[in-house]
Amino acid sequence: METRMSKRKRSPLCIVCGITLGVLAASAAQAAPVQTVQGKNTVVAVPRAPRAGEKGAPGLALLAKKALAVPFEGEQVVDNAVLLVKDGKIEALGPARTTPIPTGYEVQDLGDKWLMPGMIDLHTHIGGTFDINDTVYLANPGLRVSTSVIPKNAALKQDLASGVTTVLFIPGSGVNMGGQGILIKTGHERFEEALVRAPGSLKIAQAGNPERWAIGVGRSFMNWNLRAMLTRGMAYARRWLEYEQGKGQRPERFFDLDVFPELAAKRTQVSTHTQMFQVVLKTITMLRQEFGLDCYIDHGEMAGYRAAELARDAGVQAILGPRAVEVPTQQFINWTGSNPEALLGIAAEYQKRGVKMIGFNTDAPVIPAEELQLQAGMAGHYGMDFSNLEGVRGLTIIPAITAGIGKRIGSLEVGKDADVLVISGDPADPRKWVEKVLTDGKWVYDSTKERRLW
Amino acid sequence: MVSLRAAALLLATCALGCAGTGRATDALGRVRDLEPGQQGYAIIAAKVFAMDDEDHVYAPGMVLVRGSKIDYVGPPVDVPAGYQKREYPQGVVSPGMVDLHTHVHSGGFGDVNDMVMPVNPEFRASAALRPSNELIKRACASGVTTLYGIPGSGTSMSGFGIVYKTKTRAKFEDCVVRNPGGMKIAQAYNPERRAGDLGATRAGLAWMLEDINHKALGAMREGRSDPALANLIKVHQKKLPVLIHCAGSDSFPAAARMWKTEFDTDCVLSHGCFDAHLTAAYEVGLGVPINAGPRMLDFNSTRDGAITGIAHAYEKAGAKNLSLNTDSSVVPQEELFLQGSMAAKLGANAYQMLRGVTINPAKVFGLAKRLGSLEPGKDADVVVRNGEPLDPRARVETVLIDGNIEYDWQRDGQWF
Repeated sequence: METRMSKRKRSPLCIVCGITLGVLAASAAQAAPVQTVQGKNTVVAVPRAPRAGEKGAPGLALLAKKALAVPFEGEQVVDNAVLLVKDGKIEALGPARTTPIPTGYEVQDLGDKWLMPGMIDLHTHIGGTFDINDTVYLANPGLRVSTSVIPKNAALKQDLASGVTTVLFIPGSGVNMGGQGILIKTGHERFEEALVRAPGSLKIAQAGNPERWAIGVGRSFMNWNLRAMLTRGMAYARRWLEYEQGKGQRPERFFDLDVFPELAAKRTQVSTHTQMFQVVLKTITMLRQEFGLDCYIDHGEMAGYRAAELARDAGVQAILGPRAVEVPTQQFINWTGSNPEALLGIAAEYQKRGVKMIGFNTDAPVIPAEELQLQAGMAGHYGMDFSNLEGVRGLTIIPAITAGIGKRIGSLEVGKDADVLVISGDPADPRKWVEKVLTDGKWVYDSTKERRLW
Repeated sequence: MVSLRAAALLLATCALGCAGTGRATDALGRVRDLEPGQQGYAIIAAKVFAMDDEDHVYAPGMVLVRGSKIDYVGPPVDVPAGYQKREYPQGVVSPGMVDLHTHVHSGGFGDVNDMVMPVNPEFRASAALRPSNELIKRACASGVTTLYGIPGSGTSMSGFGIVYKTKTRAKFEDCVVRNPGGMKIAQAYNPERRAGDLGATRAGLAWMLEDINHKALGAMREGRSDPALANLIKVHQKKLPVLIHCAGSDSFPAAARMWKTEFDTDCVLSHGCFDAHLTAAYEVGLGVPINAGPRMLDFNSTRDGAITGIAHAYEKAGAKNLSLNTDSSVVPQEELFLQGSMAAKLGANAYQMLRGVTINPAKVFGLAKRLGSLEPGKDADVVVRNGEPLDPRARVETVLIDGNIEYDWQRDGQWF
């Protein structure tokens, strides 16, 4: 174990994951597409030939009126577009007159429809069973929601029909450190196919729920508790990283701290349930500046926007929702520390303060997962400027980059996973709806063939 | 000159094309100076939806508000003397929205559901109205200008509602349109009593409703004066309409049979959620108008896991004057427009859904002489948005009720 460890330079967590996934993969045997055939008394799975666009099949060419390519930088929109998909990846995207379709490709003319990358929701609890809120201890860095995943469950299926192809499934916010989230795709039925990355994040809930733990804790204790755990964890991570670089003795192994070397090596992030000013302030000053973690504001709402300039300067991204507004309150005690004279749109306030990295979340099932699109639309209603496609980008490339998977998904760029939506228009307009969904080059939802789900 | 005209015609055609069913472009009403001392606004915007029977859409358009009434709707012309000009170069104008199924009149403090007796023809919701309460103000800021405030559905006949406007600084007398505005019936799904008396089942509920109706008809025939039945008699004289809370495929046809076929009242079937849409052809055949909501989609009744847009289902069945509701605060009152947006997302015609929150509810409740469209002589209830009326990305700029600016985004800040 020790030699393998030092040779491969893998953190202890990777080994654990590797073993778990290895076992799962062995049981699933091979990656060929499978279809179920219903016999008289049995349902059996038999391999089927891969279809155009999938791995090992001929390519797929999609013709559309418009493609919202939304790379982080560069040309955002392609009119009269041709999108080529080969082996589950995007092979080319360009205007029809300059993008030849290779022979042998299956061509689908989508008429007036638009193409866009699959949407990404970085704050959801619908990836499987709902037992994701172990609240025995106030900090649980070792717990993993990967153990609760039910791929393509009913909620994920509906999420998929609304155009969300990737979700971060995370523990609840009953304690300060709920455990490790997982990034999964909504369109696949097997765990190995659905898995994008584990750990998808370390979920930290700084306030606004963990207060209910046992005897009740306040902000001072919670900040101390987080700082104590992070100090321990990052010291553990430092020892392992030094050991991987050939320095020092092999450290003692603590399973509950295995996520910290991942964080230290920037292989995962902290998704932070944070909302009010004084809490977002601590996200920035403690998690980012003091511990140097890749952390982002997740579940951003209430008056957190008042720390937006700090977030902008520290490069902390803002994934906002489920609440879209901050409202005047007439309550006796003003818990949020803010009482604006008129209603304020939270996304608009972050944007006004110069934050460019703004995305949206649902906190599903707090807001139904299929209403992610509406979260963007209402941000516009409440004053966010969409003139540079901020509404679309906040559903796609911004959350992809935020979660550290921007090289793989989030835009229609060559080499990325072919997670593509066929939609009736601009997704920031919630009246537009998703007709078909491609995930890794495979049609995983098609309202023209099956019944419409959203 | 010819080409200019052709271009203008093309533009007009395009504007109408966007509206879906628009036809004419000629102006409505007339352009005249204000009387001295009279207040008036000239609202000029990129587009005006009149929502009249000819589906006029003007792009650009102008509305002249003379005192409390509308005087002109049409293409922009020179503003006559006395009018205050308000220009919205990107703005879209439509009539104030009307919601027939609402419970925000008490301001969110309950007081809408007396459940001592199973039928209560004596009760009136007007006693609970708090004009310009916070919920009403927010409704105004979203473009909703008229509400039918009704008692809850805890009993089969919970009393008489009130039709009022959502003015933001009003006294009772200033905002009432009609009192009583109509009757509220709850045919099923809520009034089922658990008090150990009659009314635990549909049969009991139906018997009690028929019984009280026959008592009213008897009093009417014999010319007997009975204060408890006075308003119910007005229903049977077709002086007041009935709004009926019913939701399933069981109670929807039963309600239509009782209130249309048996008693021939001016009835509107409200909710129509759950699986009631499966019986749409029956109610449409009887000519009973449908007021759909708050649920705009149905997952369960077809049992195949697919989604059905409820408004779309009624539209397909040929429902005339289909209207939408929020059942506020079940769905927040300010989200009436969103009911239309989501209906459109799930297949319904977007322009017809705009009718469904403006002129159609006014028509089916006998309010169309005053409300629901921008036509000369009607109440000046006017909404200006910075985008299309059912586009959730757009927000409200200005709301006029009876010719007064009740909400203005520039002046008041964003309320919704």
